[in-house]
Amino acid sequence: MSALDTISVRVEASSGNVRPLLHEIRHALQRVADGGIGTTIDLGSLPLAPGEEKRIEELLGSGELRAELDALGPTVLQETRYAGVWFVTHRNTEQEVVARFIEVTRVPELLLAQEVDMQRAVHELEKQLEVN
Amino acid sequence: MRKDQTLGAYLFSQGVSRRGFLKFCSATASLMALPPTMVGRVAAALENARRPSVIWLSFQECTGCTESLTRSHAPTVESLIFDAISLDYHHTLQAAAGHGAEAAREAAMEENAGEYLLVVDGSIPIGNPAYSTIAGISNLDMLKESAANAAAIIAVGTCAAYGGIPHANPNPTGAVSVSDIIKDKPIINVSGCPPIPVVITGVLAHFLTFGSIPELDELGRPKAFFGQSIHDRCYRRPFYERGQFAKSFDDEGARQGWCLYELGCKGPTTYNACATLKWNEGTSFPIGSGHGCIGCSEPDFWDKGSFYRPIAAGLWGSRDALLGAAAAGAAIGIGTALAARSKKKRANAAKETEST
Amino acid sequence: MTLLDFARGPALQWSMIILVAGVLWRLGGTILINAKKDLSKARKEHAVADGLKTIATRSLPAHQFEKNIRFQHFSGYAWHIALFVSVLFFAPHILFFESVLGFGWPSLPNSIILITAAIALAILFALLIRRATHPVQRIISNADDYISILVVIAPLITGILAFAHLGARYETLLAVHLLSVEALFVWFPFGKLMHTALTFPSRYQAGSSYGRKGVRA
Repeated sequence: MSALDTISVRVEASSGNVRPLLHEIRHALQRVADGGIGTTIDLGSLPLAPGEEKRIEELLGSGELRAELDALGPTVLQETRYAGVWFVTHRNTEQEVVARFIEVTRVPELLLAQEVDMQRAVHELEKQLEVN
Repeated sequence: MRKDQTLGAYLFSQGVSRRGFLKFCSATASLMALPPTMVGRVAAALENARRPSVIWLSFQECTGCTESLTRSHAPTVESLIFDAISLDYHHTLQAAAGHGAEAAREAAMEENAGEYLLVVDGSIPIGNPAYSTIAGISNLDMLKESAANAAAIIAVGTCAAYGGIPHANPNPTGAVSVSDIIKDKPIINVSGCPPIPVVITGVLAHFLTFGSIPELDELGRPKAFFGQSIHDRCYRRPFYERGQFAKSFDDEGARQGWCLYELGCKGPTTYNACATLKWNEGTSFPIGSGHGCIGCSEPDFWDKGSFYRPIAAGLWGSRDALLGAAAAGAAIGIGTALAARSKKKRANAAKETEST
Repeated sequence: MTLLDFARGPALQWSMIILVAGVLWRLGGTILINAKKDLSKARKEHAVADGLKTIATRSLPAHQFEKNIRFQHFSGYAWHIALFVSVLFFAPHILFFESVLGFGWPSLPNSIILITAAIALAILFALLIRRATHPVQRIISNADDYISILVVIAPLITGILAFAHLGARYETLLAVHLLSVEALFVWFPFGKLMHTALTFPSRYQAGSSYGRKGVRA
């Protein structure tokens, strides 16, 4: 235990924004479930008290799917325990968090193979076939 | 990246996948405080963005703004600063020195006339220009010369934006802001002492992405970052509403994280993004650490009384002046009353002598 | 200098100086002014009790007129109480008083202050309309009445707007609110707002004077 722990400062303040956020997620999820379009929420745009981001993360929990993307630094796309609600954390090559989003959608777009990348892949695969 | 190459083409040639590019775009949109629905537009714009030349001039300043910038955790800030823009002159960050450095600045200005972005930190002393010179050139002359062919100017920090601490009373150097001197160029004020690093990069990203200046408030600051007061976005706001205030920095209220208004917090009159973007990779901001906002992104923040004097307390001078006014008022009142009495007395006396 | 700096600084300072000097000038002058000479022998020499009694009795409507002035009377009470709660128990106001007096007191939550301020504003507005339309009140009202109401209504309106951030930026609203209060400070000693300081002394004076004459007050 460091000396810091002896300071009796309560860090779990409340901005009153957690419940409204959860309501927003619920409505967004209902929309997607009814065949509507998805929603992305930028956690950087919300005034949150210290510890609240973590609390949101804990409230949403972890679901079945977790995907990692390695492009300009790692990105983790974690489906929460609520199907269709994803926690997306982008990091840069120095492992620093650059942005965090909550995505309410069937599949985050970032997981889909992109057309340009597929075109390039086709090209590379052809080259590979020519070599062999 | 070559200057004629678009950012999209550059990233593609570097083997960055479309996914990587989209990630870069969503982080950039977040950085610019744009809603996530704008990512598509950001992607389309960034794909065709060309690398702008940036000339960074440091005048009467403490280098705190540059220190802040280099601690930005913005999306791959290195790629933004060193790849996506061409930082042709910055006397703290550049390797070149002396005549070589000045030659680089002149070359960049000539080569990119009308297109380069001029970034200024620090105020400009006009009381006596010799207070601050670079390579024998006064700040005033260098600013005028560099601004002449700039596409736009970003005044980084409260000094460049509003004069800042050098401008504070009694302003010994006659310090003024960029906008006090340059009148014919678009100027974006990115105020703060220092500004939030991601706000600096966010504004650079906006210029890079859209090639235009963002929407500004009446003090020339980008609305995306300075559109709301610290108080409006503060997580301690509910305590203010309930009337729960810390009365000292170590009382029970302070420990409970109550509102710091009574301890002089300037949040209600300060416009900045500290409460949402926060500092040090989004870790915290002054109020989160238990200290009130000092209002550093506002003009003349240094001259608005003590940082610990509540806004509501006003700056009404001293009690002595009020006591003096009280004494003077009472004296006049008593004096006139007594004068009236004696006048009446005299009149009565006169009446009595008349009647006798 | 911004508008807010002006309102918080020199404007506040000078209006407070005028307020304090003006109130003491008028108080001093009023208290020491010659009382009328007794034209007949006084019934009692010291009528302190009569003075104090009158301060209390005049706090209720006079029986003879009760029916006619009930609305006036109780709306007046309601509005004064609502105003005092809003002025004295809003946290930022207390900070101001504390800066002047050197001590403060507990505040009420903003939600309550908002309600009391709205009540005060609504009643004052109703009274203003009544004053302007009621046949008798209209005749006995002069510019002083309207100016006095105006300088009280303005801080209430601007205060609520500043509180709700409605209409302009907060610092502008706050500056306008402060300026409206400063207008009140400046007008205070010279108009009917002086009743704040004179009501009880003048009731006392009337009571004791009647007492000396043996008149039931």
